[in-house]
Amino acid sequence: MGGTFVVTLREGFEAALILGIVYTYLQKIGAERQYHYVTRGGLLGVLASIALGVLVTVLSGPLLDLGPDVIGLAVIFIAVVVLTWHGYWMQQHARAVKGEVQRRIDEAQATHRLWIVGVLAFTGVFREGAETVLFLWGLMTQATTTSGWASALGAVLGLAMAATLGWGIFRSGRHISLQRFFAITSVFLLFLAAGMFSTGVGRLEAMGFLPQTPIAWDTSPILDDHGFVGGFLNGLVGYRSRPSVLEVGSYLLYLAAAGMLLFRSGPPRAQSSEPRGRIPAHVA
Amino acid sequence: MRRLFGPSIAALAAVLLIAGAAAAADNEIPLTIEKGQFQPSEVKVKANTPFVLVITNKNPKAAEFESKDLRVEKVVPAGKTVNVRIRALKPGTYAFFDDFNQATTGRIVAE
Repeated sequence: MGGTFVVTLREGFEAALILGIVYTYLQKIGAERQYHYVTRGGLLGVLASIALGVLVTVLSGPLLDLGPDVIGLAVIFIAVVVLTWHGYWMQQHARAVKGEVQRRIDEAQATHRLWIVGVLAFTGVFREGAETVLFLWGLMTQATTTSGWASALGAVLGLAMAATLGWGIFRSGRHISLQRFFAITSVFLLFLAAGMFSTGVGRLEAMGFLPQTPIAWDTSPILDDHGFVGGFLNGLVGYRSRPSVLEVGSYLLYLAAAGMLLFRSGPPRAQSSEPRGRIPAHVA
Repeated sequence: MRRLFGPSIAALAAVLLIAGAAAAADNEIPLTIEKGQFQPSEVKVKANTPFVLVITNKNPKAAEFESKDLRVEKVVPAGKTVNVRIRALKPGTYAFFDDFNQATTGRIVAE
């Protein structure tokens, strides 16, 4: 039961984080009426996950061998682009919010295309969705014995726990100031996107589309990225216990490039120089 | 967004065809998941030579072949066979497991 709980919690964690953040974002800019972008994006993500899950069990041959990989890669890189765009926008807006809050917010709704948050919700859910669907499906078919039921229950509780975390972010995010929320989440989304970017690059490396590089470090005996804490750090900041040089390089490159984009013209602040270390644990 | 949809599908199909054709040419190494075990649990391969793992899942539920060492995550639905291309490996041991059932483990030994 504990094992399946951890698996679904890990798979659902990232989606819950993203959903919690974008709902709070809409609430912050006074766009509660636009929640449907996120809700629909998330629901479409669930439907697409189920569809892909079914498709994978029907397909065979090269389509089954590579189809899910190609879709997975596309989702990763689309998510990186959308996260960056949204993070950039929030950072700009956090800076602009001074006085005249309401007018700024109206402007925000007019200038930021809100369907972007729908795409964010979709990719957030769909990224690990098909995998989770197949995992749950397998457990359900085996839920005839007591231990089978316990496993299935653990998996459902894991998803529920992830959803609760997302809800917790939404609840607590409502009480901090708009400016602070934007500043914190834009930095946070930056790390999330950096982790995704390096994951995508790692996949390309493994598939032979990029040159193979040696392992940069091995911290798996201390903090395994598949364990409970390591898994969380993996979801939060893209922590890896055995990354390749290329993965580390792409992580840092993304942070540098996106960090420059986000903090370029801003007033000097502590955040602009910090994303340098190997494992930015202070963000977690 | 919509305008990009058609070309991306075409590109996807092209990638699949090319990659599929490339996969067929490589040497294949069978690996079976049965009764919660990898058969064989130790796979011997030639070092510095790319190969294709042909993974068949004979369990009644889906498995996910995963290796952090190889950076591979691959769902293998119940009763299905999936080909996974693996790059040329340096001599050494590479662990893998079933992410949906983590007690199921094995390793590749390249020599």
